[in-house]
Amino acid sequence: MNTKVIYCFFVSLVFANAIWGQKYSQTGILPSINFNMKLKNDWSLNAKIESRVIFYQKKGLDVNTDYNYELSDFLLMGAKKVGLNSRLSTGYLMRFEEINFVQRFLQQVVIIQKLSGLRLAHRLLCDQTFSETATPEFRFRYRITGELPLNGTSVDPGEFYLKINNEYINSLQAGTYDLEIRAIPLLGYDILNQYKIETGLDYRISTFLNQNTQQVYWFTLSVFIEI
Amino acid sequence: MYKSISFTALCFILFTSSLFAQEKLEKESRVKSKNVPSNAVSFIDTLNLNICVTWYRETDINSVKYEAKFIYKRKKYSVEFDSLGNIEDIEIKILHTDLDSNLALSINTQLSKNCTKHKIIKVQKQLSGMASDLSYSLKTGKLNDGMIIKYEIVAKCKQNKKVNLFEYLFNSKGLIEKTSKIIFKKSSHLEY
Repeated sequence: MNTKVIYCFFVSLVFANAIWGQKYSQTGILPSINFNMKLKNDWSLNAKIESRVIFYQKKGLDVNTDYNYELSDFLLMGAKKVGLNSRLSTGYLMRFEEINFVQRFLQQVVIIQKLSGLRLAHRLLCDQTFSETATPEFRFRYRITGELPLNGTSVDPGEFYLKINNEYINSLQAGTYDLEIRAIPLLGYDILNQYKIETGLDYRISTFLNQNTQQVYWFTLSVFIEI
Repeated sequence: MYKSISFTALCFILFTSSLFAQEKLEKESRVKSKNVPSNAVSFIDTLNLNICVTWYRETDINSVKYEAKFIYKRKKYSVEFDSLGNIEDIEIKILHTDLDSNLALSINTQLSKNCTKHKIIKVQKQLSGMASDLSYSLKTGKLNDGMIIKYEIVAKCKQNKKVNLFEYLFNSKGLIEKTSKIIFKKSSHLEY
């Protein structure tokens, strides 16, 4: 059963990756590592490092298949548990691009729902992005995440799970509104309860409201570590 | 310069993180019936309930248990067996409102003593006793004399301005026999 699910998961990734043919598309690798540290009185700290490497770009008929390092993100968030299943967080992100430095401030609230054989996480996030080369960008995001154990009713050490993210990002920059939608099916593995590893496809579509659709495909590899 | 250092550091951490220390935890895994002790399977089979059974194996540091979960007559059942396949108890999910009014009052009084504020999330009726009595109860829905009835209640409880989830075991008189704090699974991978 599990082998079939895992096989179908990877086949769907291949098909999803093969159906592009848009005005602009980009494919790359998105490795990340995430540390979470529990502090006293329901406080916690979260640090994330993420990089992007592009290996395929298509703009009109032009195709570029060179490997290009794009950026690295360093994110630090402080969080406080405010209810049985909810947490408020705020944080600061530093983004190092080729010739640019970007700063982002984030505020989020997350509510976790435990259902029978499934966990759902609802995340509302506001962020404000500032850089020297672009006008400030303000975003309001909603993400729903489902965690589905592939063995048993909850994810235990040594077990695989499916994680599916769906996010809607409303963006306002220089008076222009845009909507970005993300769909991220991931296959995860719980190594020792404190360590999880996830891989899959991160699909993003944006600027389709302006008839200039951009689609981005990231192959992700993420590690989550509880300290 | 910084970009190559950060990318290399990230790759290094990714591939070395699995070498850290280990931790043991309780684990519930789905198992096929062929991997369950035969007397546990035959106990369920001989009931002839015409149901679809899902088997689970529960392991912690000290013990291994098997659990058969199924729905029968629109009620959720969970039948627990020890590592040898001997039946231990039957749990039936019921509504809070199904509790006898005196019992519900006693349970609420007990919870009020423990918590400044509480909310019952889930109620399970727990039956234990002789295997033959449990078998009879499963088939008929009736109870024999000598069977022990307890109630497993999951409740949200506010104590000292903190809200936690607890699992309480009440006896048939509505007195608390056991309290366990429910620890939530880590969720940072769902939040960030």
